[in-house]
Amino acid sequence: MTQLVYLIPLFPLIGFLINGLGWRTIPKTAAGIIGSLAILASFVVSVGIFFEVNSPSFHGPVLVHLFDFIQTGKLYIPFTFQVDALSTLFLLIITGVGFLIHVYSTSYMHHDEGMVKYFAFLNLFVFSMLLLVLGANYLVMFIGWEGVGLCSYLLIGFWFKNRDYTNAAKKAFVMNRIGDLGFLVGMMMILFNYGTLSYGEFFGKLGTVPGALGENTYNWIAVCLFIGAIGKSAQIPLYTWLPDAMAGPTPVSALIHAATMVTAGIYMIARSSVLYNLAPFTLHIVAIIGLATAIFAATVAIKQYDIKKVLAYSTVSQLGFMFLALGVGAYTTAVFHVMTHAFFKALLFLGSGSVIHAMGGEQDIRLMGGLGKKMRITQITFLIGCLAISGIPGFSGFFSKDEILAATYAHDPILYYMALAAAMMTAFYMFRLYFLTFTGKFRGTHDQEHHLHESPSAMTIPLIVLAILSVVGGYVGLPAVISEHHALASYLSPVVSNAGEHHMAAGTEWLLMGLSSGLSVVMIIYAFTANKVPSFVPNTGLAKLLENKWYVDEIYDAVIVRPLAALSGLLDKFVEKSGIDGIVNGVGKGVRYGSDRIRMLQTGQVGFYIFVMVLGIVALFAITFFGVKL
Amino acid sequence: MKAIIAATILGIVMMFAGLQMKNKSSVVTLAIVLAFLLLGVNIWDLVATPATAPVGYFNNMLRIDRYALWFSTLMTGVTVLYTLLVGKEIQKVGVHVAEYFALIFFILCGVYILSCYNNMLMLFLGIEILSIPQYILAGSDKKNLKSSEASLKYFLMGAFSTGILLMGITLLYGATGSFNIVAYSFLQSDALNPLALGGVIFVMIALGFKVSAAPMHMWTPDVYDGSPTPFTAYMATVVKASAFFAFIRLFQVSFGSISSQWTVVLSVITAATLLIGNLTAVFQQSVKRMLSYSSIAQAGFMLFAVLAVNAVAWQGIIIYAVAYSIATIGIFTVLMKLKDYTYDGFNGLAKKEPLLAFVTTIFLFSLAGIPLTGGFMAKYYVIQAVMVQNQFLWLVIFGLLMAAISVYYYFRVIIAMYFKEGNAELHAPVTQGEKVLLVITCGLVILIGIFPQLLLSWI
Amino acid sequence: MNILMLVATNTPFNYFPVVLQLVVAVGFVVVMMAATHLLGPKRRTKDKLINFESGIPAIGNARQPMGIKYFLVAILFVLFDVEVIFFYPYAVNFKSLGLEGFYAVLLFVAFFFCGFYYIIKKGALEWED
Repeated sequence: MTQLVYLIPLFPLIGFLINGLGWRTIPKTAAGIIGSLAILASFVVSVGIFFEVNSPSFHGPVLVHLFDFIQTGKLYIPFTFQVDALSTLFLLIITGVGFLIHVYSTSYMHHDEGMVKYFAFLNLFVFSMLLLVLGANYLVMFIGWEGVGLCSYLLIGFWFKNRDYTNAAKKAFVMNRIGDLGFLVGMMMILFNYGTLSYGEFFGKLGTVPGALGENTYNWIAVCLFIGAIGKSAQIPLYTWLPDAMAGPTPVSALIHAATMVTAGIYMIARSSVLYNLAPFTLHIVAIIGLATAIFAATVAIKQYDIKKVLAYSTVSQLGFMFLALGVGAYTTAVFHVMTHAFFKALLFLGSGSVIHAMGGEQDIRLMGGLGKKMRITQITFLIGCLAISGIPGFSGFFSKDEILAATYAHDPILYYMALAAAMMTAFYMFRLYFLTFTGKFRGTHDQEHHLHESPSAMTIPLIVLAILSVVGGYVGLPAVISEHHALASYLSPVVSNAGEHHMAAGTEWLLMGLSSGLSVVMIIYAFTANKVPSFVPNTGLAKLLENKWYVDEIYDAVIVRPLAALSGLLDKFVEKSGIDGIVNGVGKGVRYGSDRIRMLQTGQVGFYIFVMVLGIVALFAITFFGVKL
Repeated sequence: MKAIIAATILGIVMMFAGLQMKNKSSVVTLAIVLAFLLLGVNIWDLVATPATAPVGYFNNMLRIDRYALWFSTLMTGVTVLYTLLVGKEIQKVGVHVAEYFALIFFILCGVYILSCYNNMLMLFLGIEILSIPQYILAGSDKKNLKSSEASLKYFLMGAFSTGILLMGITLLYGATGSFNIVAYSFLQSDALNPLALGGVIFVMIALGFKVSAAPMHMWTPDVYDGSPTPFTAYMATVVKASAFFAFIRLFQVSFGSISSQWTVVLSVITAATLLIGNLTAVFQQSVKRMLSYSSIAQAGFMLFAVLAVNAVAWQGIIIYAVAYSIATIGIFTVLMKLKDYTYDGFNGLAKKEPLLAFVTTIFLFSLAGIPLTGGFMAKYYVIQAVMVQNQFLWLVIFGLLMAAISVYYYFRVIIAMYFKEGNAELHAPVTQGEKVLLVITCGLVILIGIFPQLLLSWI
Repeated sequence: MNILMLVATNTPFNYFPVVLQLVVAVGFVVVMMAATHLLGPKRRTKDKLINFESGIPAIGNARQPMGIKYFLVAILFVLFDVEVIFFYPYAVNFKSLGLEGFYAVLLFVAFFFCGFYYIIKKGALEWED
């Protein structure tokens, strides 16, 4: 079965080719079916592979060699897929959640003209992501990495007629490219120091072969890779593209935020856990950046009014939690949170899509309210999602987030308290969103109220499935105090090695769990009382600061974008116009002049031709017999 | 060996078919079938010959090894592609359609001999079998004065270069008492016989003439421009590529050990070829004439492979030969569809025939050496061959500068197609089958650009 | 091996006589041409530039078009004549070459006849159109 792994990315690729080449002729419904079936087929193969990998008889990673990619001199990079516990888990998340999002899209996008193109891009996106997790070396990962970046650009700017949307797409692309540069430099350092990009070979050499910079080599490589992860997974300071990425269709947001793209950074660091364990300094940075992002994004989310913006900042915040987990060396925990987050965040986004669908495109939560009466399924599933993300016991988010908090506490209690604060804010802003949207009285126009309806089943069924997963998804990783056996951790243990096992007293752990879930409940109640009616009064002070996202976009604009633009304007005026253009045009003129002269040699006379040839022969003989010798 | 016999017999079959078949298009069909047959024979030869031991024929005058067989097969494959793409145009050249194809088969016979010769006499024979049909093909458009002129010029200058080749062979024989190219390894001895060195230079000049290296290039623009376009396409590709293979075979197998004696001269030739080919192409108004100068410029790059005496050079020449041939045949195919061969004739092609314009763009990318096309990999390999040799860094830099200039005149066509207003006139609407073939050709160019190893899989 | 030794003792200086001869030959020609050019009297008249036709004025162009068939037949004659010459060496070595040589010549003759048949069929030898 594992040898069939190449089928997994193949199906979406075929789907992309069919829809992409036939976007003018294929009917919309057929495009949706083709796109969804391609992902379903991949999912089926993934499940088959998962059972094989999960069986006790499976030993070590299986490498599936497809072809030799680059082979010049000493450099040899094969195009190989690696099947092991980590990649298989990601396969399941990507294809499983991806499939649900595809099904949802068939209904959500049905009114859109570019639906066929949309499904082509969606399939290409999934294909790139699969390539990213399946590659057995950093280069294949990088191909997927870039492919994901490209597809996000295409999908965020899907409604390219709107200027703001294309700008958002551009922003996402540029931010990602900054991170990619870090990844690229890291890859080159690996290649330079270890002569290989294959995971197996590289990790094998890590402990034994010291790099050119001695011990620091590990840190340098790890930092460079981490910069790549910052870009892709939207951490401080490169996070600003993610909230803007809301410009794309809502299912795309679900795909980018939940199942794919942003988790790539987590995957990469978890994949390189051997390296990061040797680079404790970098791990420290990872933890701090993760925590800062978690808190920062949570504060912003509190004062957002756009339903998708709130969810976007909550994603940034949750990603911060994952990086915090990575930073304290709890790689399996981070992967665990990736998984549960994939379920409930996809659920929340698709739910918000359902709301926007019903509201006829309105996204401001101040103009909603009381939607629960008309949209029962959406309301209940959304509630489950909110409970899960807030970490209420019994729901999946509780288990993974609690594990992160516990690991952080074991690492450093100060970090723990800060993370706890971020978790509290999560509960607050999620329920603020929930109460403003689904409870109370409807505050929109009369037309909208009339138009309110539950979404069709193609949209609600994925919601229900995801809601179920958001509840039960956490039970693969029960806390140590409840169960000795942590299914996910033992499944991942052959691939990912956590840094330093921590054991804490059962009492402490109970206490931590009680503290976090108790505080969450308090925050929910506070959110209920504080948000019965939204205020339309303009915010002042800190609230205004939060509403405007700490003015980070403006600061970036003032500090980086404007000076750069000014500098490039200056260069354009002086260096480019007079200096470089002068040189370039001069060279061009010189070439044309020379061409005009040499052209004259071609007289058309055979006698002259032979004469030139004889002269040439004489000259060549002169060089041979009297000229320089090597 | 089977292929040499088959090419001869198929050529004769083609000749006699011309006596019987009155319908031109059925002649073309027959030619395509026979070309496929020849490809089959080549593949049979390739599979049947063991990889390790080269086989000698005719008292070891021919020595068939893996390189020779694989190169022959590739060139036959390119010829098959050529007959498919250009067959219809050949019909229009004149009345003796069957003879034209017969001559192409005879040229292929020369190609096979040149790929496996082991003896100077066989080199001479191969060169002549390769050249004489070309003299006829160049003049096949009898009513066109330019065609006759091209034929006569080519013949006169070809005869001159043949004289030089014979002179070189004579000097080498005089110095060594042997025609066998492997026996020339005697040249390792320190005190080099000036007779032998003179012979080496003469042979280099004669082969340089065949591959249109400066200063022996003067015939190229006139002949390529004057000949009927379908035959120009063949002369500039398969014929030139196999002349290069003969070149590299001789200069690596037998003169490789004294490379220090002749590389300086060859580097001068290479630099001159690059300079003249690229610079002169800039000012041309006719795309056909520009392509003939570009073929000189491309020859300059292929000379890199001859200059570098190592294993990478062999790989480089094979990749270059195929990548360059396919792209050039493709672009000539498009050119033949147009009424006007000047740059202006391409104006507005993208609006009228988007597919045609797109494939032309890819072919031009390949010729200019843009990554992801075969031309890039080809240039990469030959330059790598020189870099491995660790000499002539100046030549590599010079070559890259010249490649930059080449972008100018290749992209002029693209600019004309996409950005200029105009009404590019075609002879006849492009049929569906031709489009499919062009797309396949285009796909091959990109395939080579991504997996150049495919072309080295049999050696 | 002896050739090898011979070669090894050769130096460029051994070719000095050749160079000398070249210099003398070229020098002689150059000196003679220069001498006649400088010493000889020069009279430029128009008559010197026209064709000399036994004293009478030239009529028309000497380059008259003429039937291609003459050339065709002449070239074909030369071609076949030269090919037939190959039989002489075969006749001399008829016995020693044996059966294999016989087959080779048979093949040669077969090709030969192919060509002959071809030109007949093409009508190259038909004098009248």
